Amino acid sequence: MSRPLRKLLDKAGMAVCVLLLVSPALLFFLWMLSLSLKFEIDNGAYPPILIPERFAWKNYTTILEGNSFLLYFWNSLIVTGAATLFALLVGVPAGYGIARMRAHKSAVVIMIARMTPGLSFLIPLFLLFQWLGLLGTLWPQIIIHLVVTVPIVIWIMIGYFETTPMELEEAAMVDGATRWQIFAKVALPIAKPGIVVAFILSVIFSWNNFVFGIVLASRETRTLPVAVYNMLSFEQVSWGPLAAAALVVTLPVLILTVAAQRQIVAGLTAGAVKGG
Amino acid sequence: MASVSIRNVRKSYGPVEIIKGVSIDIQDGEFVILVGPSGCGKSTLLRMIAGLEEISGGTVAIDDRVVNDMPPKDRDIAMVFQNYALYPHMTIADNMSFALRLKNTAKSEITAKVERAAGILGLGPLLDRFPRQLSGGQRQRVAMGRAIVRDPKVFLFDEPLSNLDAKLRVQMRTEIKEMHQRLKTTTVYVTHDQIEAMTMADKIVVMHDGIIEQIGAPLDLYDHPANMFVAGFIGSPAMNFIPGSIGGDGFTTEDGSRLPLGGRVPAASDGRPAVYGVRPEHFRLADEGLAAEVVVVEPTGSETQMVLRPLGTKAGREDRKRELTWVLRERTGARPGEVVRIAPDPALAHLFNPDTGLRL
Ligand SMILES: Nc1ncnc2c1ncn2[C@@H]1O[C@H](COP(=O)(O)OP(=O)(O)O)[C@@H](O)[C@H]1O
Ligand SMILES: [Mg+2]
Repeated sequence: MSRPLRKLLDKAGMAVCVLLLVSPALLFFLWMLSLSLKFEIDNGAYPPILIPERFAWKNYTTILEGNSFLLYFWNSLIVTGAATLFALLVGVPAGYGIARMRAHKSAVVIMIARMTPGLSFLIPLFLLFQWLGLLGTLWPQIIIHLVVTVPIVIWIMIGYFETTPMELEEAAMVDGATRWQIFAKVALPIAKPGIVVAFILSVIFSWNNFVFGIVLASRETRTLPVAVYNMLSFEQVSWGPLAAAALVVTLPVLILTVAAQRQIVAGLTAGAVKGG
Repeated sequence: MASVSIRNVRKSYGPVEIIKGVSIDIQDGEFVILVGPSGCGKSTLLRMIAGLEEISGGTVAIDDRVVNDMPPKDRDIAMVFQNYALYPHMTIADNMSFALRLKNTAKSEITAKVERAAGILGLGPLLDRFPRQLSGGQRQRVAMGRAIVRDPKVFLFDEPLSNLDAKLRVQMRTEIKEMHQRLKTTTVYVTHDQIEAMTMADKIVVMHDGIIEQIGAPLDLYDHPANMFVAGFIGSPAMNFIPGSIGGDGFTTEDGSRLPLGGRVPAASDGRPAVYGVRPEHFRLADEGLAAEVVVVEPTGSETQMVLRPLGTKAGREDRKRELTWVLRERTGARPGEVVRIAPDPALAHLFNPDTGLRL
């Protein structure tokens, strides 16, 4: 077989494999998109219609017009933003400490905290928040989202800091840097791709979480996923607006991921190709 | 510039003692090389001078001030690491000025110092690049530049040339030596390569298994090795060791051949077992010499290296140790299988105690 042909076949094979792997996710997504753009009549049609003749933009306008949507979006933004910010503030130094002190046992403890079902934290915390009079504010949700975001950040940062060679920090030490300066001027900048990955994963997990919100949120403090869930349960199910709402909820995360794609790939493959 | 004084220094990791009591005096401006086989503790000792490794026993003093408990940042030393350890997120200029910026040196002074160092090392055009954009040799220079800019009391080098190819290594060897002659900064340099040690050092410290075998000027070590380890380690190809015993006015090898001692017979040593050491270049053709079969002939152009098997020894594994190396300046027509007779120059031969390895 000639070499160019062979190369082409290799590429084609690769493409097929990738397609097979991502197609379930892709199909769901396309189907949601289709649902969100169809009128109720088309939704029930058999055989199913993928691309409708008339687009039901109204599905989108209804949710956006619903006066609570902006409030829920704002709630989500605050909860996810605060939970992620706190997680980075705590998790990045913690990950550094664990990596440098080789204190992997403490990392395991964090992992166990992560494995425990979130609901088991809920009841005691609910009582605590009630006692503190925080119910009805966004604080309970911000605090409980930390249960999700802090471990993610710590784990990613441990892995990242472990791949930065000790020699670099020793060089900084000899160059006259204090512990803090080594962290701030050497370790942290080198770990920037890792921080980006931690940030994005933390945002995704926090943004999409709705178990906590269902229990802790009141009508005014709902986050977007909770609001979507409520559409499902209380109004008569109308698939079009529901799908549209779900897509709108996903959109910010999607945009963020696409925008930071390069850093994510760089962050995930760091260590595999370590060039000075 | 400073002197460094290492007094009876020890280092243990748990129950394992890696450095077993080492003392070295390094004068102001001296270029000292720690040399020894891999794993003998050279890096550990260097890192203790730098303050990167705790000292288990003894003292390290810089300029007569004991620094055992002083953190690296206060020791005023600069170190060049084996893998260069350049900060990947900083430009070359920032890499070189990092230490100065930490000390809040004035901008104009930083620029002047960086430019001066870049000039010495030929890094001028590279100052705005990042380490990943440089070749190995260039990175090596930047690592040196980072040290020069500091104008520290002591330079520490840990095998700085081991990642370079052979040709560049020879070139950098010269550059480092020139740099030292110019700056006259006290330098401690670690290598496992005895040629690097011989060519660059004012003083060589030969280490082995956490102890010092010998300290001396390069040619001193070459001409008067204190023991068999140093004799075998310094010089390439390595010294030939021939076991036997002292008798009469000469040396009798185990298979009965006689080797001359040139009247340097140690007192009261008749019949005493000994090892006769002779460097490959100190043999010559001689009718009365050892008879040996030529095994391999390796011409390098400037000289010829030959492996010889003394007659009476077999080709087996055990007897590989008995083989002799001979280096001669002239070209030769000798072919494998031929028998030659060679004799050592008795004035340049060495005798060692086979039990202690010490020079007799
Ligand atoms: N952190 C450590 N823990 C235990 N043993 C170590 C450690 N660092 C070095 N060693 C041991 O100390 C010995 C000397 O190491 P090193 O100083 O790096 O040798 P060299 O630089 O001469 O090759 C080696 O046997 C090595 O295995
Ligand atoms: Mg070493």
